[in-house]
Amino acid sequence: MIRQALAVFRKDLASELRTRYAINALLMFVVVTLAVIMFALAGETLTPTALTGMLWVVMFFAAMSGLSRSFVAEEERGTTMTLQLLASPTAVYLGKLLFNLLLVAALNVFIVALFLLVMDQFVVSQFGLFWLVMLLGSLGIASATTIIAAIIARANTKGTLFPVLSFPVLLPLLMAGINATKIAVEDVRWDAVWPDLQLLGSYIVVITTVSFLLFDFVWKD
Amino acid sequence: MWWKILLFFWIAAFSAIGIVTPVAGDLGTVGMYAQMDAAKLLPVKFTVVDRGRAATEEEGGGWLLRGRDSHDREADFRFAERPADLETAEGWLVSARYDTQFHRVEVAEVLGASPAFSFPFIPGLEERAKIIFFHVPMAWMTVIAFLVSMWYGIRYLRKKDMDDDFRSAASAGLGLLFCILGTTTGSLWAKFNWGSFWNWDPRETSIFVLLLVYGAYFALRSAIEIEEKRAALSAVYSIIAAATVPFFVFIMPRLMPGLHPGSADDSNAGPVLSSGGMDTAMRMVLYSMLAGFLVLYGWLMSIQMRLHRIKLRRAESAA
Repeated sequence: MIRQALAVFRKDLASELRTRYAINALLMFVVVTLAVIMFALAGETLTPTALTGMLWVVMFFAAMSGLSRSFVAEEERGTTMTLQLLASPTAVYLGKLLFNLLLVAALNVFIVALFLLVMDQFVVSQFGLFWLVMLLGSLGIASATTIIAAIIARANTKGTLFPVLSFPVLLPLLMAGINATKIAVEDVRWDAVWPDLQLLGSYIVVITTVSFLLFDFVWKD
Repeated sequence: MWWKILLFFWIAAFSAIGIVTPVAGDLGTVGMYAQMDAAKLLPVKFTVVDRGRAATEEEGGGWLLRGRDSHDREADFRFAERPADLETAEGWLVSARYDTQFHRVEVAEVLGASPAFSFPFIPGLEERAKIIFFHVPMAWMTVIAFLVSMWYGIRYLRKKDMDDDFRSAASAGLGLLFCILGTTTGSLWAKFNWGSFWNWDPRETSIFVLLLVYGAYFALRSAIEIEEKRAALSAVYSIIAAATVPFFVFIMPRLMPGLHPGSADDSNAGPVLSSGGMDTAMRMVLYSMLAGFLVLYGWLMSIQMRLHRIKLRRAESAA
């Protein structure tokens, strides 16, 4: 099963690298969003805390525009049926989760790097904690959105439905993530961030378990 | 049939009791307001200990009654004129202020003689405390309807019975109705008590999330055409959303500072139901309203189910 899951992951990665649809569009999306923020804030000095909020806004919408791709593409290419026949639902879910995780992690690294590069006021005081929060945030976003992507792939209005369905589910993660990032940016003691890290961890466990159990019902016709 | 009439009268009667019953303070609140805002009139309830005598000219004239409040504190109450039921009334509900010069309570107006019962006076809330009889049942029904919807969603996934899917959707519809009602009443109340329609208090956040979840649920349902697929996917979504809803409804409002009773920085009230914030009269009305709303919800569900069956039968006979 692990081998099947890795095969699904490799298939997605290969087709992505061949077409570069998601990567190109997402990188441009991030650049454009940051440019809009830069133009809107031209000359303003913002506190690192306010910029943290903006960082998460960019991360959220970048994830919302890219992560539904893995399932929607199957539906558009008409390969859903083939995949249903060839691989077990668990393997499909794990493979897609892995691919989404890689995609969102790469995306977040790119966003943060660009953010640090262009925003002079954005200074992170605890880099270890900051990257830990980014890692947990990426994990959480990937695990919550994978099943929702699978759901919306079957619906008519795919693009708009994805953020609508994802936001209420992602909100605990966003709140804890934003709070933890603020602490990492502002340099408060480690124990202040502990409740947020616990929350992020338990959120990932709960949402992955629930999606894992429910994926069969979404995937099978 | 009879239980519908009973339900109607039940909710109507307790709404009336909830609205009409006066809010009455005791001598402690009158004394407290005397230090803050001496001119403010407060409703006070007391039982008569000693029947009236005429006050002397130095005391400003009028009649004096010795009364005892619910905390066994005694004080003189000065009436400008001789009260009408002076000889017979056991107790009074009056609007009064504390007179710091003579250390007695000045009665401005008699609101009622021998009042049956009243609600406790909560400083800062006063008459506005009565929202609890409507707002809290609505908020509870929002969550209960959501959980029922999820429950039928799970049942659908296990048994693949389209009736269960319809029940799930019907419950979500009622939940959305109660959610909108609860949000509107709460928001209007917040304008008059907290100064703005929306404050992003943790409980306001939680009802907002529930509103979003309901909205997303129906957006999803309307976007899928195949019935079985719609049933399965909306059931799955309600289960996923239910993984995050308890966090907003039960955990976050208690952990974070906020304006609702029971927040983390709340030092005076605590969770309303489990602390001494309400007296027996208020509790009785609140629980009765909760029971009434619960039966109302069940009734609306059964109406929707019957309507659904009739529509199905019509579609069958037309085909």
